[in-house]
Amino acid sequence: MSSHDLELYSQIQAGDQRALEQLYDRYEKLVYSFAYRMVKQEALAEEIVQEVFMKIWTKKGVYQEKKGKLSSWILTITRNTSIDIIRKNKITTHTFEEWDSLKSDQTETEDIVLWKEKKEKLKIAVRELSEDQQQIVQLFYFKGFSQQKIANTCSIPLGTVKGRIRLALKHLKETMKNIDERGVNDETRGV
Amino acid sequence: MRQEACNLLIDYFNNQLSKEDKEIFEQHLESCESCQEELKELEEFTEDLPYMSESITPPEDMKARVLTNIFASEKEEDATVDQNKKAEPEQGSNVSSFPLEKRKSKNKNWLTPLLAAGLLVSVLGNGILVMNQSEDTAESPEIEQEESLDRTQLSAQLAPSEGIEASATATMVEKQNSLNLMIQANNLSALEGDQTYQVWVLEGEKPYRAGTFVPNEEGFGAVSFEMDQLGDHDWDVIAITKEPNATSETPQGDIILSTEL
Ligand SMILES: [Zn+2]
Repeated sequence: MSSHDLELYSQIQAGDQRALEQLYDRYEKLVYSFAYRMVKQEALAEEIVQEVFMKIWTKKGVYQEKKGKLSSWILTITRNTSIDIIRKNKITTHTFEEWDSLKSDQTETEDIVLWKEKKEKLKIAVRELSEDQQQIVQLFYFKGFSQQKIANTCSIPLGTVKGRIRLALKHLKETMKNIDERGVNDETRGV
Repeated sequence: MRQEACNLLIDYFNNQLSKEDKEIFEQHLESCESCQEELKELEEFTEDLPYMSESITPPEDMKARVLTNIFASEKEEDATVDQNKKAEPEQGSNVSSFPLEKRKSKNKNWLTPLLAAGLLVSVLGNGILVMNQSEDTAESPEIEQEESLDRTQLSAQLAPSEGIEASATATMVEKQNSLNLMIQANNLSALEGDQTYQVWVLEGEKPYRAGTFVPNEEGFGAVSFEMDQLGDHDWDVIAITKEPNATSETPQGDIILSTEL
């Protein structure tokens, strides 16, 4: 799958529009959903999708294989673009926010199934974080707040922000790993 | 000083640095191992987080809009997704060139009359409908310009004729003083032999050829046509027909999709 991604990417680099279309088809929903998660507005989410694929097409962003998976790279562009849009449009959303949004999707393609599994695991892992940790992940990752703004919002010293982010994320990652190892058991499933 | 640069890491990751600070940090990053490590760690720690997002089905016509805009920004003349060389022999296929960047924005006033004439079923997000009003999603009818915007476009949805499943969007793109009509269509039925899909613009009853295309296996097809070559007209209708080959001077097939202007 990722080797196919790479193949597509090199075709895109050679100017193959159909390759871009295929890449688009593959990632449209993920990019759109993630963008929506960040900005909470459909029109802006669409703007982000366009911007992301525009960057890929115009080679404004260049992907390097050594930097990881193409999908991660696309998601990073999505996030950076979202943060730009948030700033440009001065979007203010509630700082405390539900981790789940209301809209969900019915179609169950294989990709979506994998995605949902991952999401279930993430939800469980997030619940193991303290409320403060949940908030800091939210502000840092999904809101893209600056360090200063995080410090203000959480009323914590500026100098501690980085360390707290790191701890929260590390905890999350480790919990995810544990879940992977023991599997999502019945007790935690179906929430 | 060094310590100070290390403190930029979070804001760097979150794309919150000024251009100067970003340069400072990137320079610092080259030599600071602990920042390199922390950055890598951040990337690893967060790589799953996008999947927290609830999966949402995008609007059905988003793909056509997005790809139209992307390909329209690329090239002034030919931005077809597919083979339309045989239909437009005077414009070679330029698929492999990359002349981006020099996208200049000029909102021409042809927009306004068209808008007034009610051409537009929808004015598309990105380029035009940018919001600087404070919070809400802009549904504002005003057309606003933004510096980063490179092109002007309007879009109309073509209505399928009875029994037709296909859908199509017509977009007018102003590009370096020339006006292009871009068509993107989905769910087109497959063609046989020399058949092509033909775009027509009609003034009264008189049709003019405005692009030929062949869809891909998924039924997705697109074509861009320079309207200027047709001279000055008051267009009434945009229509798509299926033609026996790419040479029809008048429509031989039934109208599959159309919209009044
Ligand atoms: Zn450092």
